[in-house]
Amino acid sequence: MTVPWVTKHRPKHLKEIIGNEEARQSFLKWLESWEKTDKSKKAALLYGPAGTGKTVTVEAAASDVGYDLIEVNASDERTEGALQKVAGLAATQGGLFGRKRMILLDEIDGINLNQDRGAVAAVGDIIEKTSCPIVLTANDPWDPKIRPLRNACALIEFKRLSGKDCLPYLKKIATEEKLEVDEKTLKFIVERNDGDMRSVMNDLETFSKGRKKLSYDDVSSLAYRDRKENVFGALGMIFNAKNALYARKAVDVADVDYEMLFEWVYENLPHQLRDPEDLASGMEALAKADIYLSRIRRTQEWSLLPFAFDMMTAGIAMSRERTKPAWIPMKFPQRISYLARMRKERNMMKTIGAKIGRRCHMSTRASVRQELPYIRFIFQKSPTVAATMATYFGFNEEAIGYLAGTEKRASKIISLIGTAAE
Amino acid sequence: MEVTTWTEKYRPKTLDEIRNQIEIVGRLKKFAETMTMPHCLFAGPPGTGKTTASLCLAHDIFGEKYADAFMELNASDSRGIDIIRTTVKEFARIATISGLPFKILVLDEADNMTGDAQHALRRTMERFTGTCRFILCCNYSGRIIEPIQSRCAVFRFTPLKEDDVVGYLKEIAQKERVQLLQDGLKGIVKISEGDLRKAVNTLQAAASLGKAVDEKSVFLVAGQAKPEDVKEMLDLALGGDFVEARNKLRMMLVEYGLSGVEIIKQVHSEIFNMKVPEKKKVSLADVIGEVDYRISQGADEEVQLSAMLARLALVAGEFGKK
Repeated sequence: MTVPWVTKHRPKHLKEIIGNEEARQSFLKWLESWEKTDKSKKAALLYGPAGTGKTVTVEAAASDVGYDLIEVNASDERTEGALQKVAGLAATQGGLFGRKRMILLDEIDGINLNQDRGAVAAVGDIIEKTSCPIVLTANDPWDPKIRPLRNACALIEFKRLSGKDCLPYLKKIATEEKLEVDEKTLKFIVERNDGDMRSVMNDLETFSKGRKKLSYDDVSSLAYRDRKENVFGALGMIFNAKNALYARKAVDVADVDYEMLFEWVYENLPHQLRDPEDLASGMEALAKADIYLSRIRRTQEWSLLPFAFDMMTAGIAMSRERTKPAWIPMKFPQRISYLARMRKERNMMKTIGAKIGRRCHMSTRASVRQELPYIRFIFQKSPTVAATMATYFGFNEEAIGYLAGTEKRASKIISLIGTAAE
Repeated sequence: MEVTTWTEKYRPKTLDEIRNQIEIVGRLKKFAETMTMPHCLFAGPPGTGKTTASLCLAHDIFGEKYADAFMELNASDSRGIDIIRTTVKEFARIATISGLPFKILVLDEADNMTGDAQHALRRTMERFTGTCRFILCCNYSGRIIEPIQSRCAVFRFTPLKEDDVVGYLKEIAQKERVQLLQDGLKGIVKISEGDLRKAVNTLQAAASLGKAVDEKSVFLVAGQAKPEDVKEMLDLALGGDFVEARNKLRMMLVEYGLSGVEIIKQVHSEIFNMKVPEKKKVSLADVIGEVDYRISQGADEEVQLSAMLARLALVAGEFGKK
């Protein structure tokens, strides 16, 4: 009776799991290739934020495909000895009645290096010698602790679930629990939990205690969990810390990945360090962090990551020498939204540029820069000239619409082209 | 079909029609008369006649059979090594069947070619000299590897003189029946800075307003059709407005698709004209060089260039205080 919903409604089969379709498929593919003797990646590492379905996928897959699942998770003592027992099981094929075995090492990034001495090496050893598939899960795959394991693993990413992913499933649960709730309310709960299914379920259960009907007003008064605030907290540490170590901790506090944190710092740096000397020094520290990150991208040398973190946190904090304290709100990284906004426009400009280039003996890039601005001007000022140009360059209606800027101008130009053709 | 852009419509067809770069044109005419030419490297800023000169030269040498023996490649659209190994090689190795002495291949914007592609090109140039001559056009000859430069006759194109720009503009205005007022003419000359493409484009855009072209209409065009503007970005940074300078930088990188390296080249050519102490110019050159290296090693262009802008703002600020 008192089984929590999280357990009660936990999917038992693969087909009941929602979201992360791609990740589930690649996991099954990996499992399949494992069975077909391709053991180049003896283990799979499923990683992603909490409550996105990593463990449940492994459990359901084991049951659907027909494996005995041996599970070791964070609550177990993960000393070398305990792991060696698992290793013994892993090395021998088949369970009691000839059933296949699968080993799940849950929350592998939760290894405590002080207490579980040798644990990472032991896991590496298990992967090396295993004769059954091994699955690891982690929130942060780039945790330096598990770096030695990463290369031996097939990496499979689980992303945060969206409202769209969750809604049908939540509705089904509501029906089963005889709870009346609308989409808006459910969506709010999903957003509030940033797509963490486990906390979505917990919230839903908590809110509906003693209620038959759950409305938006019932839940909206409750604040968001502080995932987003953590970014601001981290930024506050980076821009205001008086000692390097404290600033460095910002990386752990931030609930965004380090690349996103980098963007936040990059966006807000000039607003926070307003003194020119502080700014120049802070930008240089950030540029150094960027160099480390680019080296990591190139060489996959993840051991460099801590140095990038040093530069983008402590490096920034220690640049603050002259800027007076003032409360200036943090801004969302403009670069990200700008790039997203520009993607479509860039493609359009490329298409147009290529057409101009063919006529003007220029490359697409040169056309975009040296010709397109003037042609755009003409398209917005003179429909007659624009019409002859559109014919000359072979612009389609979409391109004309883009250059003209407004629908009215575009349709005028298009009708002029029509008249000229007759 | 009617040619609608004036830059194309009034592009000279033969070497005789080119009125500027007299020295260079004179030498090219010799090539046409003797029907021989070496590999050439045309270096100079945009809008100074590099592409036109190569088109005219090919025209004067080949005449009617032009199409059989001439190819034009925009190196920055297809600047990979593959294109050198396939398209370029295919074209260069086969002699013309029209009885012409050789083919001409123009590689525009060759300074945007990768180092590897340039080395591949160098071998192709050597092997097929008998059948094909290359004309490489570039803004910055420094970006062309030395072995290629040493195999080419190098021609340096300079920005057009004011009188030449005025002459071209007046002629076009007359043929297009556009009333070009004196202050409008002056404005175009000033804005274009010896870049004839920019001058003619500005004239055409201003004329599209349907009135006499005066200073006001010229500046309206210049204000709205502002292409890449490294100088403006630098002015913003030097004026201490880092955030706006960074926005400008982002726009140039993303909207106009400039590469970080191109921006660096332009910034580098600007610093010696900037109003900062001479000593600072040297340290800024050092900063720019470092950024160039970092970008070549795969660092984020915008972040690195922003760091450079912050440094610029600092230097200008220190100078301003004294």
